[in-house]
Amino acid sequence: MSNVCEEQIFSKVFKTHSKTVFNYIFYKFGNEEKANDAVQEAFVKLWQNCAKVSPEKAKSYVYTVANNLYLNVIKAEKVRLKHADSLVKDRTNESPEFLMEEQEYKEKLDNALNALPENQRTTFLLNRIDGKKYAEIAEMEEVSVKAIEKRMHLALKSLRKHIDGI
Amino acid sequence: MQENYLAKWLSGELSEDELREFKGSEEYASYQKLKDVSSRLAAPEFDADQALQRLKDEYIDNAPKVISLNPFKKFLRVAAVIAVLLAGSYFYINTLDENVTTEFAERSEVVLPDNSEIFLNADSKISYSEKNWKNKRNIDLKGEAFFKVAKGKKFTVSTDHGTVAVLGTQFNVENRKGFFEVTCYEGLVSVTHNNKEIKLPAGKSFLMIDGKIVETEVPNGSSPSWMNNESSFKSIPLTYVFAELERQFNIQVSIENIDTNLLFTGSFNNTDLKMALKSISTPSQTRFKIDGDNVLFYAGNTQQ
Repeated sequence: MSNVCEEQIFSKVFKTHSKTVFNYIFYKFGNEEKANDAVQEAFVKLWQNCAKVSPEKAKSYVYTVANNLYLNVIKAEKVRLKHADSLVKDRTNESPEFLMEEQEYKEKLDNALNALPENQRTTFLLNRIDGKKYAEIAEMEEVSVKAIEKRMHLALKSLRKHIDGI
Repeated sequence: MQENYLAKWLSGELSEDELREFKGSEEYASYQKLKDVSSRLAAPEFDADQALQRLKDEYIDNAPKVISLNPFKKFLRVAAVIAVLLAGSYFYINTLDENVTTEFAERSEVVLPDNSEIFLNADSKISYSEKNWKNKRNIDLKGEAFFKVAKGKKFTVSTDHGTVAVLGTQFNVENRKGFFEVTCYEGLVSVTHNNKEIKLPAGKSFLMIDGKIVETEVPNGSSPSWMNNESSFKSIPLTYVFAELERQFNIQVSIENIDTNLLFTGSFNNTDLKMALKSISTPSQTRFKIDGDNVLFYAGNTQQ
């Protein structure tokens, strides 16, 4: 029987889920250091309780531990995201106006994201950046899929309002 | 449009009709741009391999077994030694007698394990065994104390002049140098002095001065006068009166041309020194002089 106490399995679980745990905490609080600590603490707890947590449950276990860590403890800071394709150098066919506009839009989007309620921002970014399905986010947040859809809908609405300046 | 249609659109769950309708709306372009740009967003870098290595280094490979367990073991060892020492000294102290001492011009009240009460007059000392109290109710007394004894087994007060034994009563024992007085206020007290037992019913006193038993009068009240801050005497040699004065006020009394064997009857207040001095000097026809903590008594007709 496979067990999280086996180092290979534990490493696999870590590699599969640590990035999402990191992102998840980062989207919530905007603090990279806390997100890194959350990963460490969540997986240390998993290791200590490896006999009690099956590999299938390990995923939701680490999300829950990470989430509980900072419950009511830290205040959200600014979430600073990057444009994934800004690193790609060969996009030379864009006009300077277009690039300016993109940059401006990105700043507006950043501000709009920071203005969102924490749970809407987390849901939106888990979907957009990590490609998590609504059902998966619902499991992480321990709410219904419908509640996640509602958060997503509201997030899109207020982001657009904020960006278009309505 | 269905509920949360924006979420449904993003996840590709709108029906064809709904999608057409949404595409026709004026805000569609905005949402489309939002969808495009947000798909190109990225979170800060996170190096999973490095994080895993850090976790293994700090918590898994060696750390929990060597670093965090050992100090605790050491702590346990120290704690065990301390516990043994504490337990040992606890049992040792338990076998020691309890001591209560009063200095000059000091009083104390002691409640015994059976709720018997002892009021200690100035310059007195009692000791008893708290642990053995249930089996043997015995008090060693030096000085003077008033006892309110709870009913129960025999209660004894041991002094170097004799032993006082009772069952449950209120009595006063004064055991000073050359002076031994027991007064019973309630119940029955037995006094053993020189191997002779004397039964003392309520309202009776036993008095011995300088080895001689002296007849004494029945005391008034239900408790000794010192309990009410007064020291009273009936035909008591002056020397004992002065000794009591010294004890109550923490002073030094010196005398000049006075016969201290003269008997004194009267009382003095234990809180006001001047009043007390007058209370002694007037009936004994002496005079006094105060100099700091020293009081000189001299004969009334002595020239100073």
